[in-house]
Amino acid sequence: MEEKDWEASSSSENEGGFPNDDDEEFHSGGSVPKLQFRVGSSKARWITELGMAEVEVKRGKLWTTTGIIRSGKTYCFIEEALYLSEIGELQILGNEDDIVIPLKDLYEKIAEEKSGCSWENYEVYRYLKGLGYILGRHGVSWTLKDAARPNGEEESACAGECPADNDTVTKLLGDVQICDAKAVFDVYLPNSRFKKSSPGEPSFVACFSGDSPPSKEDIKVLQKRIAAPLTFCHIAQGRASFFSFSSIDLPVLS
Amino acid sequence: MAPRWKWKGAEAKALAEPVSKTVSELQSSLAQIEVSGFLSSCNVLLSVEPEQAEVLDRCCFGRPVVSAEKDKRWIQLSFEEAFFLFYKLKCIKISLRGRSLENEVALWRSMRSFKTNFAISYKAYSHLRSKNWIVRSGLQYGVDFVVYRHHPSLVHSEYAVLVQFICGNDRLKVWSDIHCSVRLTGSVAKTLLVLYINGNVNTENMNLPLCLEDYTVEEQTIRRWSPELGREDETRT
Repeated sequence: MEEKDWEASSSSENEGGFPNDDDEEFHSGGSVPKLQFRVGSSKARWITELGMAEVEVKRGKLWTTTGIIRSGKTYCFIEEALYLSEIGELQILGNEDDIVIPLKDLYEKIAEEKSGCSWENYEVYRYLKGLGYILGRHGVSWTLKDAARPNGEEESACAGECPADNDTVTKLLGDVQICDAKAVFDVYLPNSRFKKSSPGEPSFVACFSGDSPPSKEDIKVLQKRIAAPLTFCHIAQGRASFFSFSSIDLPVLS
Repeated sequence: MAPRWKWKGAEAKALAEPVSKTVSELQSSLAQIEVSGFLSSCNVLLSVEPEQAEVLDRCCFGRPVVSAEKDKRWIQLSFEEAFFLFYKLKCIKISLRGRSLENEVALWRSMRSFKTNFAISYKAYSHLRSKNWIVRSGLQYGVDFVVYRHHPSLVHSEYAVLVQFICGNDRLKVWSDIHCSVRLTGSVAKTLLVLYINGNVNTENMNLPLCLEDYTVEEQTIRRWSPELGREDETRT
């Protein structure tokens, strides 16, 4: 995967255009006027208090597999917003104004881990999306008819953290198990007929155990909560590797 | 992963001669004539008749020691193999420094004095053998054991086994260990199998082979998944 040059993208801060080799329609060579949006580019507005972007203009079929729906509106998480921005499919407008948020700011949001997605999580998201897989945040429904807006709790719950992490009272209750591994994304195989209203069971759930491989106990804790197969992701030097740890019972041979 | 039989007809031959049957044959063959071996610091040397050497080979216990002797065969057994034949199958006798070891406690303690992890290693070995898998050293693949569904002449080994004592955290501690073991075993078409031995670390307890009864074994495979393969050929979003 290519490294992104944060400095270069910040220089095009006020322009509609982002570096995108694939887009041949705007090889004008001349200056691009402010706020010009390319045909084919969706628009979303970043909502600071949600830590998500609300989609205002949808272009393309990609929205069948990206973003969550709440009361008819589509919202996307930071990783979805960043990925689509990187590939030139989405422009994110500021909370207060119509200025396009540069990639640099989006990368910063990921680096700061304030929106429920770390850089490691994002590497996996980007890699698998690029290969055609469909990814959603674990624990977050693709669509909810009655919900007004995604709320903050939903967003942090979807990081798959064990509830005890944030709440000392629940820790005392003792029946909540603490573990270092987190379930982050539900992953589905590439599917042109994917429906948010009935996504089915994910192919697997992408988990992260951080610096060390997951302990046997952590795997047990997660597997008890999650029906789908677990795949643990390890990122090093921008490369993602995926491992599955499965309990088996070696057959007794005759 | 399906078993990889080495030649056409190998699978049929395996089906016709189940491992459990061959092991029973071995048990009676060795018990008939009192087969005896002697303990060294790293193995047990067994002296047998050619027919017995042949049965030992058919169930993969030991390695032959090449010698010019015509009427006797020398086989060297690992500690695990020897203790299994002595304690579980009860078909060989072992002597140490000229004296025959009468009971398993003396043999157990001697082996433990030579090999620190013997108790755990043996628990894993006997667990696998009890399921009728053929168990051999996995050293050339950087693991403890490799297991075969039947004789190595008929089939490739399917699993590369690492043994981990539940209290010890000395194997697969860091990600590079996982990468190393999984990629290495994968490159030789084997699946990495980790055996977790759970039990009491009480040293006093471990002085008796009876401690084996208290240990339990959990099996876990570790596989690497490649996202480029195994997805349907669909148009990307």
